[in-house]
Amino acid sequence: MDLSHPVMPRPTDRPPAPDGYWRLRLSTTARGWNLLLDKRSVAVNGVLLIVLIVAALASLSLGTVKLSPLETLHALMGQGATMSQFVVQELRLQRVLAGIATGAALALSGCLMQTLARNRLATPGIIGIDNAATAFAVASVVSAGIAIAPSAMSLAGAATATALAFGLAGGSGTRGYRFIVAGLGIGAVAGAVTQVMLSRVAIDTANAAYPWTVGSLNAREPLSTAILGAGLALGLMGAIYLGRYLRILQFSDQVAVGLGIRLRQVRFAGLFLSVVLTGLAVAVAGPVGMVALLGPEAARALCRYRGVPLLASALAGAIVMVLADLTGRIMLAPIEIPVGIVTAIVGSPYLLWILLRRSPRSHL
Amino acid sequence: MGVCLASLLLGAGSVSPADAIQVLAGQGSDEARFIVTELRLPRTLVGLAVGIALGIAGALMQSVARNPLAEPGLLGISAGSAFAVAVALVLGASAATLTVAVAQFGALCGCLFALGAARLQGVGNDPIRLVLAGAALSSLLIALTSLLLLFDERAADEIRFWVTGSVAGRNLDSLMRVIPSFSVAALITLLIARPLASLALGERVAVGLGHRPGRIRLLVVIAVALLVGGATAMAGPIVFVGLVVPFAARALAGPDIRRTLWLCLPIGPIVVIGADVLSRLIAAPTELPLGVLTALIGAPVLLAIVRARRLPSL
Repeated sequence: MDLSHPVMPRPTDRPPAPDGYWRLRLSTTARGWNLLLDKRSVAVNGVLLIVLIVAALASLSLGTVKLSPLETLHALMGQGATMSQFVVQELRLQRVLAGIATGAALALSGCLMQTLARNRLATPGIIGIDNAATAFAVASVVSAGIAIAPSAMSLAGAATATALAFGLAGGSGTRGYRFIVAGLGIGAVAGAVTQVMLSRVAIDTANAAYPWTVGSLNAREPLSTAILGAGLALGLMGAIYLGRYLRILQFSDQVAVGLGIRLRQVRFAGLFLSVVLTGLAVAVAGPVGMVALLGPEAARALCRYRGVPLLASALAGAIVMVLADLTGRIMLAPIEIPVGIVTAIVGSPYLLWILLRRSPRSHL
Repeated sequence: MGVCLASLLLGAGSVSPADAIQVLAGQGSDEARFIVTELRLPRTLVGLAVGIALGIAGALMQSVARNPLAEPGLLGISAGSAFAVAVALVLGASAATLTVAVAQFGALCGCLFALGAARLQGVGNDPIRLVLAGAALSSLLIALTSLLLLFDERAADEIRFWVTGSVAGRNLDSLMRVIPSFSVAALITLLIARPLASLALGERVAVGLGHRPGRIRLLVVIAVALLVGGATAMAGPIVFVGLVVPFAARALAGPDIRRTLWLCLPIGPIVVIGADVLSRLIAAPTELPLGVLTALIGAPVLLAIVRARRLPSL
């Protein structure tokens, strides 16, 4: 008598990928890596990357000296007229790279912090981290006694502000709004302290410190951009590694703990990344407001709120920054509007709209 | 009284408190007399007026918005009047003329916007969202102001000393220019104090007592605009005074708006003149802008209000 059992599925047969996902197999065995890719976010990231490249090309070609896209490409390759090579490679490339790096870092940092605080308004600019980083950087320029580079100081400032906001609010997790208002207070004090320092020193010193107080991509030293680039690469990897935990953190604490997330470690790691990225970005471009809000907002709208769009936020932030800088350069040429003013003019009405439109219940 | 005296006695310059006392007694050297009567006295009087105006304006707004964080500076009203003044300067007015009316007009627009947003969208029920909206409005207006000043160096020069908020170097003329509008505001405040107190009990109670809430609110908006615009025209945008003063007054007087308003009369000048004296002493021989000190004083108060378990309901 045939007592053969019904055929059980063998462990190597993986279930087909769910709707809207691709399954990426990185090995042939059952236990190997295998990755689910959200089709929509792959598409969104691809589109954003293309838009970013176009924006960067536009920023390289436009300005007082206008070049055609082809000329710009040639100049980038080191061909074409000496003049256009000089303009593109010496003057604009550095600036566009700085814009991409700072925009991406700020937006990524904003996305991390919003997720951790479960509040879309919890971005580094609003929590006063920008202001504190600025205050520390100005302190380093202003006082001869501090031999630490402004960039390092702005990192320290960012960390101090976050720690303070965190401590005063009693944690970030369940009290998103309290975290934000603690940050508002800290930002106000840091801004005041910056003014105090600027008003107390000789005018030359104040002028040297002035670039740190407005967000601008003008005349930054290449070294800090390079450091930011390296930090950004590491931060992006770290953030994507954290991504799976952050996704679960969007639920309540109880659910997250139930699913085996170590809340403290994840929060600490996320905040750490966010603070380092903000500090490095401020070290390059000064306090540029609203990018940390706009980037993640755009990314989340495009990805339709699936998960935590870390990469898309970074790309969108870079686009916002490059376009804002380009606008500031060409709109009222020869007067150059600092990029921080452009982002504030674009971002503040949007922030107002968020605040006035939403019902009080929906925080993210 | 104490702070006023301190403001006259202490400060930069080679005039010691003893010399200043001699001047007040009608003696003393010419130099000392000049410093005390021409520099310190106007400054003290301006501080007095600014403190009262901002304190009363803050108390009125908090009462009508039912929100302990509704503060003219935080809600972008001061930024609104600063922006209006910047526009006027760029269009060719000089800082001395026009400023008061323009600043009051800007404050009126900011005030209508803030209260309108609070009432229409129900943001008023959520203090923190209202403050965030105010912060967003302020940052927009500040960005627009700096954009305007990028074009116009003359205006930038005229406004630079003014935009940080200070009572230094203000003369009695600027005080005289705001006296008429402050008198109107004082009259309005006296008129609406009682209806406002009944409005605090709820819309229906106020209507039942024969008051008209819509009209009360309108009058409050006008009074606040006159007060904040006038204060801004004199001393530049000064943040947090309208938060700290009513907070202290309420802590002393309890929830009744009438007693709060009366207490704002002494507390406002105490805060502003006290901060001004500190600003002279801390960084002597130079000075700090007054706005910086009020931010240093106000931010902790803001945190204290928010950290309190329950936001005090109004």
